[in-house]
This record gives sequence, C-alpha cells and structure tokens, in this order.
Amino acid sequence: MKLPRFLGLLFSASLSIAFVGWTQAQQTTSTLPESGISEHPNELFAIVGATITVEPGRQLEQATLLIRDGKVAAVGRDIAIPPEARVIELRGKHIYPGIVDAGIEAELPATTTPAGIAHWSREITPERSVANEMTSAITEPIFAKLRKAGITTAMVAPRDGIIKGQSAVFSTADLPTQEALLKSNSSLHVRLTVSRGRGRDSYPSSPMGAVALARQTFLDAQWYATAQQAYRTQAGLPKPDDNAALSALSQMVASGQPVVFDSLNEQYSLRADSFGREFGLQVVLKGSGQEYQLLDAIAKLNRTIIVPVNFPKPPAVQSYEQAIDVELEELTHWELAPENPARLRKAGVKILLTSSGLNDPSEFLPNVRKAVGRGLSKEDALAAMTTEPAKFLGIDSSCGSLRPGQWANLIVANADLFDDKCKVEEVWNRGQRPESAEKNNRSMDGTWKFAWTGGEHPATDLHLEIKDSLQKGIATLRVPEPKVDASDAETKVEEESDPKDAPKQSDGTGKEKAAAEKKKESNLKSLKLESNTLTGVVACGSLDDSYKGNGYLSATLLNSEEPEDARLIGSIVWPNGAMGTFVATRNAEADSSSGSDSKTDKEVAKDKKEASTSSVASKVLSPTLYPPGALGRASIPDQHEYVLFKNTTLWTCGPDGLLKNVDLLVHRGKIDAIGPGLEVPENAHVVDASKWQISPGLIDCHSHMATDSGINEATQAVTAEVRIGDFVDAGDITIYRQLAGGLTVANVLHGSANPIGGQNQVIKLRWGAAYEDLKFKQAPAGVKFALGENVKQSNWELSTRTRYPQSRMGVEQLFRERFNAGRQYIELWNQWRDNPQGLPPRRDLELDAIAEILEGKRWIHCHSYRQDEILGLLRVLEEYGITIGSLQHILEGYKVADEMAKHGATASSFSDWWNYKFEVFDAIPHNGALMHRRGIVVSFNSDDNELGRHMNHEAAKAVKYGGVDPMEALKFVTLNPAIQLRIDEHVGSIEVGKDADLAIWTGSPLSPMARCEQTWIDGRKYFDRLQDAEDRKRDANLHRSLIQKVIESGEPGSQRSSLADDPSRLWPHHDEFCHDHHDEDHDHDHAHDHDHE
Amino acid sequence: MSSLFRSLFGWNAILLVTLASTSAVIGSDQIPGAPQRKPILLRGGTIHTVSGDVLVGADLLFEEGKIKQVGKDIAVPEKADVVDVTGKHVYPGMIDSLSSIGLVEVESIRASVDTTEVGNVNPNVRALVAVNPDSEAIPVARANGVLAAVTVPSGGLVSGRAAMIMLDGWTWEDMTLQPDIGMIVNWPRFGAVRMGRGASAEADTGDTSDRLTPLHNLIRESKAYGQLMDADAVESIDLRLEAMQPVIRGEMPMLVVANTVKQIQTAVAFCNQYQLKMVLIGGADAHLCAPLLKESNIPVVIASVYRLPTRRDAPYDAIYALPAQLEAAGVRYCIGTDGRFGASMVRNLPYHAATAVAFGLSEAQALRAVTLSAAEIFGVEASVGSLDAGKDATLFVADGNILEIPTQVTHAWIQGRKVDLTSKHTQLYDKYKVRYERSPKP
Repeated sequence: MKLPRFLGLLFSASLSIAFVGWTQAQQTTSTLPESGISEHPNELFAIVGATITVEPGRQLEQATLLIRDGKVAAVGRDIAIPPEARVIELRGKHIYPGIVDAGIEAELPATTTPAGIAHWSREITPERSVANEMTSAITEPIFAKLRKAGITTAMVAPRDGIIKGQSAVFSTADLPTQEALLKSNSSLHVRLTVSRGRGRDSYPSSPMGAVALARQTFLDAQWYATAQQAYRTQAGLPKPDDNAALSALSQMVASGQPVVFDSLNEQYSLRADSFGREFGLQVVLKGSGQEYQLLDAIAKLNRTIIVPVNFPKPPAVQSYEQAIDVELEELTHWELAPENPARLRKAGVKILLTSSGLNDPSEFLPNVRKAVGRGLSKEDALAAMTTEPAKFLGIDSSCGSLRPGQWANLIVANADLFDDKCKVEEVWNRGQRPESAEKNNRSMDGTWKFAWTGGEHPATDLHLEIKDSLQKGIATLRVPEPKVDASDAETKVEEESDPKDAPKQSDGTGKEKAAAEKKKESNLKSLKLESNTLTGVVACGSLDDSYKGNGYLSATLLNSEEPEDARLIGSIVWPNGAMGTFVATRNAEADSSSGSDSKTDKEVAKDKKEASTSSVASKVLSPTLYPPGALGRASIPDQHEYVLFKNTTLWTCGPDGLLKNVDLLVHRGKIDAIGPGLEVPENAHVVDASKWQISPGLIDCHSHMATDSGINEATQAVTAEVRIGDFVDAGDITIYRQLAGGLTVANVLHGSANPIGGQNQVIKLRWGAAYEDLKFKQAPAGVKFALGENVKQSNWELSTRTRYPQSRMGVEQLFRERFNAGRQYIELWNQWRDNPQGLPPRRDLELDAIAEILEGKRWIHCHSYRQDEILGLLRVLEEYGITIGSLQHILEGYKVADEMAKHGATASSFSDWWNYKFEVFDAIPHNGALMHRRGIVVSFNSDDNELGRHMNHEAAKAVKYGGVDPMEALKFVTLNPAIQLRIDEHVGSIEVGKDADLAIWTGSPLSPMARCEQTWIDGRKYFDRLQDAEDRKRDANLHRSLIQKVIESGEPGSQRSSLADDPSRLWPHHDEFCHDHHDEDHDHDHAHDHDHE
Repeated sequence: MSSLFRSLFGWNAILLVTLASTSAVIGSDQIPGAPQRKPILLRGGTIHTVSGDVLVGADLLFEEGKIKQVGKDIAVPEKADVVDVTGKHVYPGMIDSLSSIGLVEVESIRASVDTTEVGNVNPNVRALVAVNPDSEAIPVARANGVLAAVTVPSGGLVSGRAAMIMLDGWTWEDMTLQPDIGMIVNWPRFGAVRMGRGASAEADTGDTSDRLTPLHNLIRESKAYGQLMDADAVESIDLRLEAMQPVIRGEMPMLVVANTVKQIQTAVAFCNQYQLKMVLIGGADAHLCAPLLKESNIPVVIASVYRLPTRRDAPYDAIYALPAQLEAAGVRYCIGTDGRFGASMVRNLPYHAATAVAFGLSEAQALRAVTLSAAEIFGVEASVGSLDAGKDATLFVADGNILEIPTQVTHAWIQGRKVDLTSKHTQLYDKYKVRYERSPKP
C-alpha cells in the first residue's frame, strides 16, 4: 500500500497530531493467485499508555499509537481511538521504532548464473542478487532470530565470494519473500580476501590473490563496457566474450551504486578505501569492531561504516598459566571494544550499527547498551540503528521511525531501551503483534515474606528473594537479619567503589566473611521457573541449624495482576520429610532494606559490573596504542631536529670503513656529519655512545613478516598480479622482535610456490606506524620468481601434481611463454595508443607486471638453488633483455659465479643452510665468500622470523667460511642487500645524506655476544632496550589490572581468544611451500614456526 | 624442521616425496681417526678446563685416549708428539644436548629419515641402532668442535630411547659414548588452544586429567611386568614393558619434552609420584617453574636458544635470556640445537650459547652449558665435558674464542683419535676454488 507522497510529507510535519480522518480501501498488492479462503483480521490497533519514541530525540509520554494495515496511522497524546480498534494497553512500557540492520549476511543457494556467461572464478558474482535468489526458506531461520532481537528490517548481503553480489532489503516479518522485499540491488558487496583452507586447486587461495582478482575484475568491467560498445558500433571487429559478471559490474560502477567492503580488521578499512579510490567507488565499510585501533586514519576516510557490536567476552583466567597465556591485546580489546562506536562517532564518522558478528542477534541491544555506557549518546545509538540505516538504504520513507505512514515496526520494552534493566518484550512487524507477546508467565521478582500457614516450620519468617524470574532466575531463601546500621552500609559501599582497580585483598574481606558466615541463607539450586510456578532445592541446614541436607520448595504465583496483591502459595518439604506450607507476599520493606545483604556472589559480581559500567569513563584502563596490545605505541617515536651520537665506533659500510672515536650527527632523519669532536648544535639530542659500536641498520633481503597476505598465491603457476603491498600487517610482532635485533629494512616477498609469484614490498620496520607508512616508498617495484622443487611441486601430495610445470624443463619454458605474452601485450597497447581503433585492449594486471619486467621497471627476485636452473633462467632473461634483480637463496651460486657476474646478477643467500631438501644437498657455507670474491654483490638473508632477529650473526659467517674481511662481511646484511633492492642511495651505509637508519651494539656487530641496544630509523629511535623494559612493565601492569577486571566482571570466560578469527592471525607469516609441507594448525606455540623461504 | 619439533606436535603425516632412486650416493668421505698410539702434548695454549680455571700458557697431555695431565710446564714424555698451541685455545669437545644427528640426512626425503616409529608408545626403540656413521652431517658438526651429541627419536607419546654418541667412528658401536641415555616422552598438552586456525571451539574446555591416563597406565603396566620379571614368571616377552624397566626403577631418566607451565608442573608431579628420574627437554616456560625444578633437582635441556618466544606478548628475548634466568635461579641446564633443519645445524651450537651471553650469561657459564653441564645432566661427566686428568681426550683446539663466529677449529681428538676436520663442505669449496683459479675474474 503506497501513500500518496504529499500525504507522507503532511504526516511528517504533523507528527504528534491525531490523524485518523483518512483511510484507503484495501488494495491488492500482490499478483499471487489467491487460494482458498482469504483472511481479513482486524488490523487496526491502538496502543495506549506507553512512552513512545517516535524517532531519535522525540519521545512522547502516555501516548497512543494507531496502527492500520500494518502502518502507523497516527501517533500522539490526544488521539481519538476509533471504536473498532483493538486497544492494547502497554502502560509503563517503552516503544521504539524497529531496528534497521544494514549488515546481515546469508549464504546464497548454489549458483544460478548460467555457466556459459558466468565469470571464470566462482568468487566473482556481481550479477548475483539476493533479491532474485533468496527465498523465505533461507531467510526465515535468520529473520526469526532478528525479529526476536528487535530487528525488523534487514539488508541482506551474500555471504561468500570476493565480489559477492548485490544485497537486498527485507522486512524480517514472516512473509513470502516477494512481500517482504523492500528494495532490491541495494549495494554491491566485496570482501578483499578469501577464507583460509580453501585448498590450492582454485585461484585465488590467498588474500593478496583475492585483491588482485578483484582489481583485475574492476578493470575488466571497464574494458568490457568499451569493448562491447566498440563491437556493437564497428563492423568487422572480433567479438569480445559475453560475461554476465562484467556486464553487471560495469553497470553498477557507472550507476554509482554503493560498494560495501567487508573490513575484517582495522587494516582492511584502509585497504578497502585505497581500493575504492582506485576505481572511484562509493565505498561503505562493513567494520570489524576494531576501528578504534586506527581511529584517526579511519575517520579521515570519511566513509560510512556499518559497525558491529561484537564486543568480546573476556578470556578465561582461572589459573596463572591461563592468565599469562592471554595476550595483552586480547585484554585491551575486551576493554576497549565497547568504546568503538562512541569513538567513531566522536571522530565524526557516520555509523550504522549492526548485529552482524554476534553469535545471536539477541546480544545486539545489550551490547549497544554497553556502547552507550561507554560514551555513545543514546540519540546517536538509536539513530544508528533506525533512521540512519533507513536513510542509507533509501527506505526512510517507510522504515526507521514511528511517524505516520511508516511500517508499524516497533519494539516494546519494559524500560528505556538503554537502561540496563531493559528487556525487549515484544517486537511488532508490519503491525503484527507476535504471538508470544501474550505472556503466560508473570514476573515473580521481588522479596517475598513467608507467612507460615501450617505444618512444620521454623519459628522465624523466611524471605524468598527472586530475581530475573522470566529468564533463568535466581532465588535465595533466607532468615531475615536485624536491620544493618545505615552508616555501616555506607562505609562498605565506599570501599567497594574504590576507583582504583587494583586487585582487592581487601582489609574489609575478613569482616565481610564473618558477616557472611552469620548469614542464614540458601540459594535455590536446580531452580525452575515455568508457567508461574517455582520449584527448587533448598540447603536447609544453612537456614536452620537443626536441619542437615536439602529440602524442596515449590510455589505457585497467584494474583499477579498488581504487584502488591500477588501471592506465592507453596510448601517446603524439609529434609526430614515433614512439610510446611506458606503464603508469601511481596515485602516492600524487605525490598528496600535488605539490599546489600541479600546478594549472591553472582549478584555481587553483577553489581560490581554495573557499577563499573556506570562509571566507566574514569575506569577504562587500556590506552589506545598501535599496534593494539603489548608493545603498542601511542605514536611513532619523535624525530629530533638534531641527534648527536658522541664518541663512538662506526662500522660505516661506506668508503670510510671503520671509524673510532668519532661523532655522528643526524639532522631531520638524515646523516648530516661524521667526524671527531663535532660541534653540538643547539637543542641537539645527544647520545653518549662511547661504550657502543654503531652499524647501519641491518637489511634483510628475504622476509615474509609483516604481511597477512597469505604469502603464497599458490594456485596458478603465474600470479604476477598479486601484491604483498596490499597486505602490510603493521601489527605483526615480528617487526618489533627483528627491530630489537637491529633490523631496519626488510624485503617482504611472495612465497616460492609458483614460477612467477607475486609482487614484493620493501618495508622499513616502523613499529607503531600503520599500513602504508611502513612501506619503503623509494624502493623500486619487484616480483618474486622461483625455480626448482617448490615450483614443480616436488614435495606436495601426488594428487595435486597436475599443474604445469612439473620439471625444471617446463619451468624454463613457462618463462618464455609469459615473456612472449608480455611482449605481445606491450605491442597491443602501443598500437592502441597510436591508433585507438577497433577493440580496445584488455588491461591484464598479470601482463602489466610482466610488461614492467620486460621494460626494466620491475626487478625479479628469484628463488633458486641449483646451478643448472640458475644458468637456465639467466639465459632466458638475457634473450629477453632482462637483467635480474637478485637471485635468492642461490645455494649453488658458487658453482656458476662467473656466469652470474657476467649477467650482472646479485646473490642473496643463506649463510650456512644446507641439506633440508634434496636440491640443497650441495649447499656450502663458503658460497657467499666464493661469489663475493668473483665480484658478485652478495647478501645473507633470513627467510625466517627467528633468524631475522640476528642477521649480524649471519654476516659473521662470511668471515668464518671463506675469510671475507669483517667490514665486507657486515655489508652482506647492510649495503649489499640495499644495492640488491636498489635503495642504496638511501640506506645501507653510514654516509652523509643517507637515512639515519642505525643499529647500536654493545660490542662488535659481528659478535653473537654483542647485543643490540637501540635501533633508529629515519632518525627516530624505534627500539631502545631501556624503553623496552619500561614498556614491558607498563604492559605487565595493565595486563594484571585487566585480568582483575575480568574476574570482577563476573562475565563467563571464553576458552577461545576473541582474536582467533582476526585475519591477520589466521594467515601464515612464512612461506609454507618450501620443504616443510606441514600444517601449523595445531601449533599454537609459535616458537616453532619454522617453515621458510 | 627438526625431528624433535615434529614430535612435540605430533605430526604423524609429514608429506614428503620419495626420491628413492636418488638417495644412493649419500655418505661422507672422511675417514675415522686412528686409535691414539703416541702421547700427545699440547703446549702453551689457553686451556679452558671448564671444571676449573682457564689456564693461560699451559699444557695438556693425553695418552691412550685419556687426559693424563693439565697444567704448566708438563714434561714431554718419550715418543710424544708435541703440538704447539701458543696463542690458541683448548676446549673440551662440545656436546649437543638435543639433536637428530645420524638419524636424518635430508629432511625432506623420507627415505633418509629414521626418527619416528609408528604407534604412540615405543619405549623399546633405540636411536642408537639407526645412527648412520657416514652421515654428511657428522663431519660438518665436528668441524666446529661439537664432538658428541645426544640424538633422539621423536613422535608419538613415548618415542623411544635417546643415545649419546661421539661424532666419529666406523660404526655406531664405535661411536657410542653412552647407549640409551633416556626415554623420550612427549608430554601431552593441556588446556584449550586460544588462537590461530586450530583454536578450540567456544565451548571447549581443556580436560586435564584424561590426557595423562595412557602414561599412568604405562607405568602401572610396567611395574606389574616388573613383578613378573622379578618372579621369573615371564612367559612371553613384552618388548615395550621390558624397555620401561630401567625407567620405573629410576635408573634411566625420562626425557620429558614439555614447554608450558602446566606441562612442566604435571610432569614433575607425575615423575615424583612414581619416583622416576626426570630431565626436562624444551623448557620454554622453565623459568616460571624454577622453584619447583630446583627443589626437585630436575635439570633442563634448553632445546635451543635461537628460538622465538612462545607467546606473542612475551619479551622479545624470552628464550635468549632463559639460560641466564635458570642460572640465577639455581636450576641446572644445558643447551641444544633443536630447531629448523635439526642435524644439519648442529655446528652452530656455540652460537646458541654465545647468544645467551649477550643476554646475561657469563662466557664461562655459556661454555659450561655446552660441555660439562650437558655431560652431567646425561650422566657422562666421568668421561667428557671438561679437561681433567682421567677423562677421555675428547677435545679441540681453536684459533680464538669458540663463542665468536669467525673462530676456526684447527685440531680435534675424540678419545685420543685425531679426527678429520674436512667435510663435504670443504671438499666442494676446494673443488670450486679450482674452477676460479683457472679463469680470470670476470
């Protein structure tokens, strides 16, 4: 039923004015054939007596809500109630508009797009539409839960895939899909990753592969539109393939439809934004709840965020070991997550709250309350789940408020929606009152005073306190005590609200305990509250010393219409079998006086929790650090105008060699001067380095840390389109650990699972910075190649061995094949640029990268072992005019050093690894020295999160095996890798003008007995052992305090970390595809993450 | 991946390719040392006795495979060979406390790996009999002064018996320093896995008691079998239970592979309950259990120093500093080279120890952790571990401090047999040096 638009406007202008003068005859709204006898119930309701919140900021007390045919007909205080209306008294109740949730996901049925024109990847399904494919059979199980939780309108997006398809908006009422549908093709949904463990058979199998595929697909969509256009308008052109996905996608992009990106953690928000900007998309972020961790950066994006309230449960900490197994980040996240919505709002972000991410939508409102308790204004909260999402979804003319003309979707609650006591009692959907709203049970809550009516009973009256009787319920039977002196009670309250969260071995404990011992009370066990009856087990001895053992209590509730008239009539069967009968009435006096002494442990804990949530602002312990958790930083370290290192020993790795008793001056992050007795500039930060030796920051030419890309896109033999740089993981603790070993730069490479792998990313170890800021901007582009056992899948299960190539012969041919394709691609584009006629060429990200290699703009870093394959690769490259960037591992480089030198190849080797697989049986530790002596630029790399912490030890092995001069050996982990990465203009040696990237040692950097004391990057002190000790103390204190808070919260603990599903924790940070073809699933002891390459 | 690593986490299915036809040529070219025929006097060196002081400008005399005398100005016996070690350092042979040397050749080739037997309880199997004396890893390790090693089976709950071998000899019998030095038991894990792909389900609570049931049963069965043996009433031999007898009598230590607090606590309690001798292997959390370990006099084999902290939030130097923490707490410990690539990386043993120096040990303590402490913990201190008269002449000479990486080992003897310090590596190095000597630098 549509209202004429002008009436809608009228309604909104006359909000609280009674309006019943206009009705419209029942119209047909369905094209379905009627079957049988149709139903026509009275659908005019008048809800009276409730406090009605029409929309955020507009609340009417004692108001009337008139509902006709499912829509709000009128709302206000003086509304004439038509005589036929079904009057429903909801006196004392609070009514709110039903919640609009823009974040629901559902699994689509098996694909319906005809295979003929579907995208080749089943991850790419933009043409799929929830509206077209959803049936109520799929939605009802989801919607039933949503309705119960007060969610009456839901945007449902497809759950799976990368470019997943289009969402639709539904009423969650139990209606046929065509009736429930409010809007089709609401937005496009994209998830820039894949789930782990999908297997290696289909591309993509890694997060970076997913991004690459998404990027390629958006490019393809652009090309598709122009190619189709060209084909239609020009005769004689080849026919571009028809493709439903690309066709749909190009139209969506052109129409400016919003694109919702699943942001699986805070870093994904930034990734999604970069991606969206690349293609000019209307980006909406579906958040993770971790946005507060990168608040400023995310706020700056100026994107609407669909924010979950998936606040974690605290960890289980029942033993010391359990406590130390809990990471600080888990604790800080537990503490801070409820502030995420408030912080986003305060930072000016437009948020839409969603129940997505909760185990059950019924947790939604309680968690929103938590968020409100933690600083989100009630008005913002309500708007973020009603009017704002309605506007975002373009359905605000019918949903999101209780203005006349809107669907009568409403929540009936027993209290203010944001009150902790609030319970959603009924949820109306399109004017339909839920059947369950007619309650069979009445509340038994209160303190009941027994009047014995017969049988055996103690001389004293008993009190029965019942709480939460409509839910699980708590009941305590007790012998009432003489009244507690008011001043005592007050003192106690003060003690308990001590603002310090220090663990309380309280001095008051003894006193309290004594008091508890005196108390005669019993919590009812096996309590059952159903159909207005109560049964439970009583520990009778604790009530009366003459009893030992348990008795049974049962009671029936009568006269419950008015709380003061209610009676509980029941009996207790004592342990001796005798029965006493009673009538109990609610005892107002006991209610008010027994407060503090009537509490169970659980309740005390709960009270404390309430106390702490109500005065939260002052009680939040966790600072906002990045990366979140232990060793996080409030900001990156300061850069002093001048830093002067006095009187030290410099291993320059430059033309000056070893300098003793000199000063080193750094100006704005760059090395400014070196020499003895330098003048101290004004305000210089002076570091007495007389006991130390300083080397350039160490550089690792082969690393897999700091990325949650998955490392390997291991499916296809060629994946040059995937980029490690899309997945910088600034929170990887390995960054800090290697920084502590003097490392400042790392070449983060794709793994070795395919002959042409993905694009690498050179980073600086700027621990505390986010995402892009770790990238070494001046480093030229590169790509991983690989040869030998890994790429021919020698150590994989036999069943997977069908991919080309399976031999070194095939590897060599594959390179030719791709280089030829790259040449052709370049040629094609050149022709098009000269003469843009005919079918436009398709941009292919894989061939883009190959073309860059052919044009000398992208350096190859090739995993290689055996001399035959090394030589084979170099010869192919030479044929195509390519000079290699570096040969990685290159453990038989010593056998073909002269051939490598002639090519101009550099070598990034392991110092002394050998024999872990067959192709390294001939590896020798003298490899580095031999190649060095033949004029090759040699580095030693780690390929390992542990080894990367002491690259200086590796350098020393060049001295040991083959007698390389110590300074030259140190260059193996400083200047030489810089040369190999083409960043030696900036880093790698201590020379005037270069970046002040320094490692400071307690002795010779070549001694394993020397320790790294400080590490500087860009003239900022990113690691300092003294600061590390301070930070450990800080973290330990915080950890302890938060554990106490968890215990005091009384919340049930979880055995599973709330971080367990964070994508940055799911993907390996090492190359799985070397010789160790194992799965580390059950290895949570990361000390043993030993895979490599 | 070391074999021990595998056993820690129970990967039973390591997927490896079989290169059956290519494994024929593995075997080192070095010739075992001949028995000592003449007395040898090392003259004028810096002698690291380990058991006592460092003697500068001192001599060491050994004869018929045993150390005769250590001190200044030792008279040259008749027909003795005198080796001038002026400016050089003399050390007892280093002992790797945890390796798979001899049991593994090429890690990824299944045919060359002999660390793991099928089944969960294998107390009867012995590492010793699978040691390949011609393994290429052996000359490589000893060339850096590692002259003895504990080599261990892995996998399952009870992996089998470890051996202490010398890194030279024609046969494994020649190489045996002490057979069957302990029973490897991989202690069950306790508690839920909080993080990662293997994280427990929400409701999963770690049940602790059940996990030890098989071990309780094994001990009980073994004792019952012992009663049969005592009564001479064994009708059919049970190889497993027979092998357990020295363990339950407290003669052979149980080498308990355990890293977490709960594992360590329960293992100590278990061994205490049954009065078993225990050596803790791994020990990442040993510092957290130091009073318990000290009180129970249980030594720790720190599996490796080059090792990542076991918890994300732990100090970055958690394992680097572990030796110093145990030292300070008065817990006995030694250091091994468990970790990636197992047998091939044994030669880096002194650098594990040196790293511990950077994080708090003294050099003397670090050296002891790879010599005498290891000998004591495995009960071979009567023959190796220090330079004292009466012990085996298992020692080496280096041109500098062995804890510094550039230092070269110049001579080594095992029980007085001079050992070959070349290896596959030096041979290939020498071979390819020739290639470059023949042509000018490009």
